[in-house]
Amino acid sequence: MPNQNGSVYGLTILSPIINDERATPSHDLQIRNYLATVPTGEGSPFALAPGTHLARLVVMDDVIYVGSPSIEEHLHSKYLVFESNCDGDLDSYLLGLATAVPQHLDAIWSHCVGYPGAANPQAFAAYMKACQIETTFYFAAVNDKSVPETLRALQTQRAVSDFIARHQGMNAALLQAEFAQFATRLKSEPLPASGSMGPLRGLKTGGRNE
Amino acid sequence: MSKLNETDIQGFVLRGYNLPFARYLFLHFEDSARARALVGRLLPVITTGQRWDHGKPQSTANIAFTHRGLAAFDLPEATLLSFPVEFLQGMKDRAAILGDTGINAPEHWDKLWLDNHVHAWLGINGQSPEAVDARCSQIQALMQETGGAMQLAWQDAAAIMDDGKPTSREHFGYTDGFGNPDYLGVERSTQPGQGKLMPDGTWAPLATGELLLGYADEAGELPVAPVPHILACNGTFMVYRKLHQNLATFRAYLEERSAQYGGGMEKLAAKFIGRWRDGTPVELSPDWPDPAIVQDPNRNTNFTYGADPQGTRCPIGAHVRRVHPRDAFGFNGRLIDRRRITRRGLPYGRPVPEGEPASDAEDRGIVFMALNASLSRQFEFVQQQWIEYGNDAHQGNDKDMLIGNHRGHGKFVVQGDLSATNPPFLCTHLPNFVELRGGDYFFLPSITALGMIAMGLVDPR
Repeated sequence: MPNQNGSVYGLTILSPIINDERATPSHDLQIRNYLATVPTGEGSPFALAPGTHLARLVVMDDVIYVGSPSIEEHLHSKYLVFESNCDGDLDSYLLGLATAVPQHLDAIWSHCVGYPGAANPQAFAAYMKACQIETTFYFAAVNDKSVPETLRALQTQRAVSDFIARHQGMNAALLQAEFAQFATRLKSEPLPASGSMGPLRGLKTGGRNE
Repeated sequence: MSKLNETDIQGFVLRGYNLPFARYLFLHFEDSARARALVGRLLPVITTGQRWDHGKPQSTANIAFTHRGLAAFDLPEATLLSFPVEFLQGMKDRAAILGDTGINAPEHWDKLWLDNHVHAWLGINGQSPEAVDARCSQIQALMQETGGAMQLAWQDAAAIMDDGKPTSREHFGYTDGFGNPDYLGVERSTQPGQGKLMPDGTWAPLATGELLLGYADEAGELPVAPVPHILACNGTFMVYRKLHQNLATFRAYLEERSAQYGGGMEKLAAKFIGRWRDGTPVELSPDWPDPAIVQDPNRNTNFTYGADPQGTRCPIGAHVRRVHPRDAFGFNGRLIDRRRITRRGLPYGRPVPEGEPASDAEDRGIVFMALNASLSRQFEFVQQQWIEYGNDAHQGNDKDMLIGNHRGHGKFVVQGDLSATNPPFLCTHLPNFVELRGGDYFFLPSITALGMIAMGLVDPR
């Protein structure tokens, strides 16, 4: 079934961007401008709202003609593309977004045709579903676990790796006692915040290197 | 693919000379006409790729230019601007992309590199220090006669000797210099494991365009190159990196950690790299070094990792497995065929035998030079993704154990099994065993291109 892969929902939304010649800067540029400043990591709206594995927002101006033998074609409108791999039921995911981060959603989607605003979560969800198209491809790194399960797994992986580093070579009896304590402590640790377990990369990326 | 025109290609590109002594001169051009005159006088001195039917010469000489160096010849703007952007920027401006930060950041480099005055690299290799001196004096005389260049600095390098015989060991004690790729059209005694892996498990030469400009690369495309074509053709790009080795730190770390490792010190040293210190591939001989394999050209680079997906023989993060993953990423190794580089270089500084006191502060390391058609696609990718990051190797944020910029926080996982002598082991708090002390990107032109530069004939129209 499209849109659903195991427990993961694949959401793809194409929202037409308002085409108003009098708007300066144009609505598409205003979206680009806002997207350029949206925080990533723990401050990301998709970390503040529940249920997102990976989300992506792209302004699609047009299809680009790359020369013969392709055929020159154009879109009727500029579109905002929203792709998300998220947990479970679509309605509760959309309502969760509208409840948690309405100011971000409004700043982005208010430049789109027919957007009702996020103040009324039901209207927001209905609008998004009206713009939805089928998803058939998913982000390969998302497995069949929920976001909380994934966060817990990452936390466990990191903690166990640290435990091994601190305890390797210890005699078996002492190690077992230490491990029992560690396991109890780990179970009672709070779930790490969404967006907090990403890679710590000091490298500048981009260009033709990735 | 016919044979390449070896007399038009600088010899340094086509073969590792295997000459034990070297001096690299760094030149600055002050006047374009005089600089061109110097290149004209150097033309008959430059060593080409022509085969040495009468034995090795006493010495060789090769030359390469930074983008600023090419600009100093007053080449046409349209030519200068047509070079790939990473070469235009130079290695210093690529520091953030390469992970050359912290202690490896340009502000800590040798003074030579700080003010962007290096215009040319002139590499001299020789059979003896006297042969290097003689060739150097000959070239310095030409520089003086023409007034074509100022010598800013030089770097001496030499193979580490064993009873007066040159070895291919570096300062940490590892035998180095295995496994440069083979390329179509380059005449060289080839051996299995040095080209690209074919679906039937054999090895074939890489496309010429992975090394030389003007030829099809592994994608069947011509590499990005400057105009005119004749300036680029038979040329290549060279990375020069002076890598300082913290010998005391390395020895202390290995000794301290191996005290807790069931396989012992030499095995842990071998796990770091993926080769025992004598050069035996760990993948082929996981429990002990085997000189018979090292001596056998049909075996010493002939292995894959497909049967060792867990890294219990060769750790997944071992240096050689990271920088030349062979089939480790699946798809018969095809994902790596456009990420190969050809390495040149020699150690510099006084070697210290095992057991004698060593200090990090002494000037000691390796001059690393890499040749490739695309600096960004080949060298920079390997440096960024496979040395300074671990995702492709499924090692998370872990960096290359040996040359990663760890800053004391690095981690390296030695995968293992249930046996007492091959246990899983974590190396933590990795320091920087190697530090970058400077370098740049150079264009190594063909003999024809050098002639065109000398005669002022470069015309992009």
